[in-house]
Amino acid sequence: MTEIIVTTGLCKQYSKVLRVKDLNLSIPEGVVYGFLGPNGAGKSTTLKMILGLAKPTSGNISIFGRNIDDRNRIAILRNIGSLVESPGYYGHLTGEENLRIFQTLRELPVNEIDRVLHIVRLENQKKKKVSQYSLGMKQRLGLACALLGTPKLLILDEPTNGLDPAGIQEMRELIKSLPHQYGMTVVVSSHLLVEIDQIASHLGIISKGELVFQGELSSLHQKSQHHIALRTMNNSLAVKIFQENKVPFSVQDGYLILPALEDAQLARYTTFLSEKYVGLVRIEERKKSLEDIFLELTGMAVSL
Amino acid sequence: MKAFAVEFQKIRRRKIWLIIALLVFVQVVWSLWGVSDMDAHELQQGWRFSLYQFPLLNSIMMPIVAAVVASRLCDIEHKGQSLKSLRTILPAKKIFDAKFLCGAVFMLVATILQVLLICIIGFGKQFTEPIPVRLIGYYLIFTFAINSTILVFQQVLSLLFKNQMVSLSVGLIGTFTGLFSLFFPQGFQKFLIWGYYGVLMFVRMDWNPETRISNLYWTPVDWSGLIFLAVFFFAIYLVGRLLFIKKEF
Repeated sequence: MTEIIVTTGLCKQYSKVLRVKDLNLSIPEGVVYGFLGPNGAGKSTTLKMILGLAKPTSGNISIFGRNIDDRNRIAILRNIGSLVESPGYYGHLTGEENLRIFQTLRELPVNEIDRVLHIVRLENQKKKKVSQYSLGMKQRLGLACALLGTPKLLILDEPTNGLDPAGIQEMRELIKSLPHQYGMTVVVSSHLLVEIDQIASHLGIISKGELVFQGELSSLHQKSQHHIALRTMNNSLAVKIFQENKVPFSVQDGYLILPALEDAQLARYTTFLSEKYVGLVRIEERKKSLEDIFLELTGMAVSL
Repeated sequence: MKAFAVEFQKIRRRKIWLIIALLVFVQVVWSLWGVSDMDAHELQQGWRFSLYQFPLLNSIMMPIVAAVVASRLCDIEHKGQSLKSLRTILPAKKIFDAKFLCGAVFMLVATILQVLLICIIGFGKQFTEPIPVRLIGYYLIFTFAINSTILVFQQVLSLLFKNQMVSLSVGLIGTFTGLFSLFFPQGFQKFLIWGYYGVLMFVRMDWNPETRISNLYWTPVDWSGLIFLAVFFFAIYLVGRLLFIKKEF
């Protein structure tokens, strides 16, 4: 799989604080790539550097196989649609007039405006001034603007911000469909793991400016191991029995945690404990959630 | 060219033409009042009167018009945070150039309308001195040059500061300073871009307190003043554009 964006040793320093540290992103072509991290982790800063809105302190950015610099930046960005932080708009103009500005600057055919308005379902609101739009409608207009000309790469920073639950679902479905329908690569940043889990096939997790995980979402799922939790009336006796029988275990919050076991093996252990009158009161099968893994990786609490 | 055309699309419903219309209207009323009761002596100095009166009027009104035009052109970008989107399509220097050219069109139209007004008044009132065509041409060029220099200064402030009160306040303070500088020596006036309406004037007044008669007379054009102004213009343009290019989001 070829990479559409590659960053090497990307750093950004703001007033002596390194906000992005040695970031090595590798984003494959034709996927939805989730860029996940807690608030203030450096997601927007990274995306702004990719789009040339902030200058990297050090490091390289390569898009479509070309190292980006001041001379080729605009030519490369011609194939990129973006929506960073909040949608850019002119409130005194209508939705259609807003899109006409960007359609003219990008030298695209006029019918592109209706096409993208249809995709984001704003065609009935196109004659309305954008200052009268709700935040969700502005967000959709921003997405329509990013979709003008069907770019090869779409960079969306927290695109579901300000949308109602139905709008969030609609936006997620739309993002998911873009690689299949238009062959686009979509980079979506979010601080919501559940969102990325729903729409992305690949992801990068950033924490305090550093990339702590990058790969396919399925490989993150594989990290979530099953285990068995036992609760007894006499844990100290149970511990002694497990130690004597060399059963691997750990103690956590009053539970004895065993690795994932075959049913037959678990049945043997429970029978054994019952025979020793330990008083087994609970057997739970537990699975480490993606949230737990995320917290482990980022080392901090996050909105879920 | 594309970016320049788009600037006019962006300012639909912003009523910038209204500011220019208001300026011209006030100047029409002012000048009609000024020439309403001219005697033979004054008619003999009619063109000098107009070319003396209008630069004074300009030092009061044009800097404010330039500040408002620049602010109206630039605050639309801050309000909707559209510069982030624009700068992924256009290089920052092109955005800056297009905005300046758009504003300059308004200032040029204001200047041309003013010169037309001067001519209409002159022919309407039948000034008895011959029309100084060359000097009226200079007047148009100088006034436009000063307007453009103030405009680019205001544009830099309006683009760099989100709060438009900053640029408008500086514009207002500059206007008053420029106006007061007319009472100071020309050497001092040349350090203020707002003072150039006075520097590049080529009519002076000689008022005799005993006879209470004022005479207007031509003075040589201050070409060094024009060179200074050009230096100011290019310095503000280049430094301002560089600051805008370096601005991060």
